[in-house]
Amino acid sequence: MWQVYFKELTELMRDKKTLIFVILLPIFIFPVIFGVMGLVLSSTTSKAMQEEHRYVIVNADQAPDFAEKVFYHKNFKQVNSDKTSEADLIEAIRNDEFDVAVVIPADFATKRQQVEQSKWQIIYNQSSQFDFMYRYFNEMMSDYNETLQRAALTQLNVDQTKLSAIIKPVDVQKVDTAAKRENIGEKFGALIAYILIPLCLLGASYPAIDMGAGEKERGTLETLLICPISRVSIVLGKFLTVLTTGLVGALITVASFGIWGAVIGSLGGMAVVQEAMSAIAITELILIFSLLLPISAVFAALLLAISIYARTFKEAQNYISPLSIFIFLPLVAAMMPGVELTAITALVPIMNVALAIKELIKGTADYGLLALIFASTIALATAAIAFCVHWFQQEKVLFR
Amino acid sequence: MIEIQELAKAFALGKSSKLSDTEKQDVRYSKDAFHSVRNVSFSCGPGEVLGLLGPNGAGKTTTLRMLSTALKPDAGSVLLNGVDVLKQPVKARQQIGFLSADTGLYGKLTAFENIAYFGRLHGMKEEALKQRIDELFTLLNMHDFANRRADNMSTGMKQKTAIARAVVHGPKVVILDEPTTGLDIMTVQTVLDFIKGLKAAGTPVIFSTHHLDEVASLCDRVVVIDKGVSAFSGDIGQFRALSDNGDLRDAFLSVLQGSVITQQQGAA
Repeated sequence: MWQVYFKELTELMRDKKTLIFVILLPIFIFPVIFGVMGLVLSSTTSKAMQEEHRYVIVNADQAPDFAEKVFYHKNFKQVNSDKTSEADLIEAIRNDEFDVAVVIPADFATKRQQVEQSKWQIIYNQSSQFDFMYRYFNEMMSDYNETLQRAALTQLNVDQTKLSAIIKPVDVQKVDTAAKRENIGEKFGALIAYILIPLCLLGASYPAIDMGAGEKERGTLETLLICPISRVSIVLGKFLTVLTTGLVGALITVASFGIWGAVIGSLGGMAVVQEAMSAIAITELILIFSLLLPISAVFAALLLAISIYARTFKEAQNYISPLSIFIFLPLVAAMMPGVELTAITALVPIMNVALAIKELIKGTADYGLLALIFASTIALATAAIAFCVHWFQQEKVLFR
Repeated sequence: MIEIQELAKAFALGKSSKLSDTEKQDVRYSKDAFHSVRNVSFSCGPGEVLGLLGPNGAGKTTTLRMLSTALKPDAGSVLLNGVDVLKQPVKARQQIGFLSADTGLYGKLTAFENIAYFGRLHGMKEEALKQRIDELFTLLNMHDFANRRADNMSTGMKQKTAIARAVVHGPKVVILDEPTTGLDIMTVQTVLDFIKGLKAAGTPVIFSTHHLDEVASLCDRVVVIDKGVSAFSGDIGQFRALSDNGDLRDAFLSVLQGSVITQQQGAA
C-alpha cells in the first residue's frame, strides 16, 4: 500500500496542475476574496453614498420648508422641469432627465392648516443595488413629518412638554449582546465554509481522476493489477494519496484563511475583520481542519470510485461535475437565513460541516454537536471507502 | 510450464444493448452476454516460445488477461508451473511477467523509477533491484535514457522500458501482448533478441502478434484463436504444414477458413 502511496505522491508532486489546484489556488483565493472583493464592495458603497441625485419637486410652493431641506442636502441637485403628471415624470426619469420626482399635492398647504393627512408620491427607479437615495429622502421626510406633527399638536393646544411622548410614545433602544466576532461569523462563516469545502473537493478531484481513469487510459492499471499485492492495498494506497492532496489543500486553505485574514484586516483598514480574526484561536482553526478531515475522506473515496468506473479522463470529469452540484446544494442550504446547527442538521452530510465551521468562526460552537458531526462524517467516510474498495474489485468496473 | 484447459470468459451485455444484424450472426453473442473466449486450450513448456495468433477481436487479449490473473475465467483452468491462478492468484502473479498491448508507463516517472516501482511491488530488495535494473538496461540498451521521464520518451524507448518493467522481478513465465507493434526495425530486433534470451534461459514465453515473420523466427508452438476458440494448437512444423507451400500466411488463413466452417457446422 505504501509503495503505491509514495509512487502516486511522487507523480503528483511533479504535476503542475496538482500544484496549482492544491497549493497556489488555496494560497491566493483568500487575498482575492478578502482584499479585492472587500475593496470593490467598499468602493461601490462609498460611490453610491456620495452619488448626487437630480430631483424635481412638483408643487414645491406647497411645502417650501421641505423643498429647502432637500435643496441644501449634499446628495441632491435640483433640476428644472415643467412636467407634473405621473406618466410624464416616469417618462422623464426613464429618459434620464432627472433621477427622482417628489409630487406634493396642490392642496397640501390647506390640508396642513386643517390638520388633515396628505399623500405624497416619490417616483424613482428602485432597481438600484444600494438604495441610499430613498434612505436620505426617508430621513428628511421623517424630520419633516415630526416638524409638522409638532406644529399641528401645538395648534391643537397640546402641552409642549408632552409633545415628544405623543409623537413617539415608545423609543426603543437596541442593546447588541453579540460580539463583533459573532456578527461577522453569522455573516461570513457560511461563506468561509462555502470556500473551504469545495476547495477540498477541488484539491482531490484531479489526482483522483488521474489515479483511476487516468491509469486506465494510460494502460498502466492492468499491469498494476497483476502485481502480487492485493487490490485492497492498491485502492487504499490511491485513496490515501487523494486524501493527502485534499487535506494538504484544506490545510493550506485554513492557514491561508487565518494568515491573510489577519494581514488584510490590519493592512486594508478592515478593522472588523482583523478583530474577528484575532478572536479566532488556533484551537478553532485546528477544529475546522479536523472537520475537513473526514469530509475530505468522503470526497476522496467517492471521487476515486467514480474515477475507477470511468473509462477515460474526460468521462471521469463528466461524472464528477454532477457530484459538485450535490456538494454545493447542502452548502447553499447552510447559508440560508435561519438554518442553524441542531442535532438534526448535524446529521446532514456536508451541511453539518459547513454549519459547524460557521459556529466555530462565530465562537458559539456546541462541542457536543461537533462530536456528533465528527462521528457521523467518519461513519460516512468509512462506508465510502468500503464501497470504493468493493468497486475496485469488480471486473465490470475495471474492464468496462 | 503453462497449461490452459478449456478456458472461457463472457461479459454481460447492458440491459439496453441491442444486437446489430452482424452480431446476431456471431456465435459469440447470446441474448445477454458476449462470450469473448469460449474454449481455449494450449500448453507451453520450459524454453518454448508460443505465438498467439488471431484476427482482431478474436479473444487473444482476454485470454492473456485471464492468464495474467487480471480477469477471472468463468470456466476452465490455468496452471503456471503447477500454480492454479484461480486458487492462488497472488502466488501466480509472482511468477508472471506481463506486457500489455498498451505500453502503460507512468509519464511523470523516469525509466528507472517506472521499473523500480514494479520491482518493489514484487517485493524486491533495493540492492538486488538496482543490480537487476542495471542488468536490464545493458541487455536492452537503455542506459542513455535511464533518467528520462516516460512523457519525453520515443515509442521504442517506452516499449523497452515496459519490457524491462515486465521482467524486472525475474518471472518464471512471460506473457507479451503485441510487443513489437509500432516499433522501428532496430527496436524490434532488440525485443526479439530479448525474447530469444528468455527462451535460452528456459522461460516459457507467450506472445501475441500479427507479424508472421516474428512467428517464423521465434516460435516453437503456435495457437490460433478465432471467435473465442483455439482453432489451431500445435508446433510450428504442424502449423507450416497446413499450407501447401509452407507459407505461414496461407497456413493462418486456412485455419481461419476451417474455423469458420467448423463453427457454422457447430451452430447448425
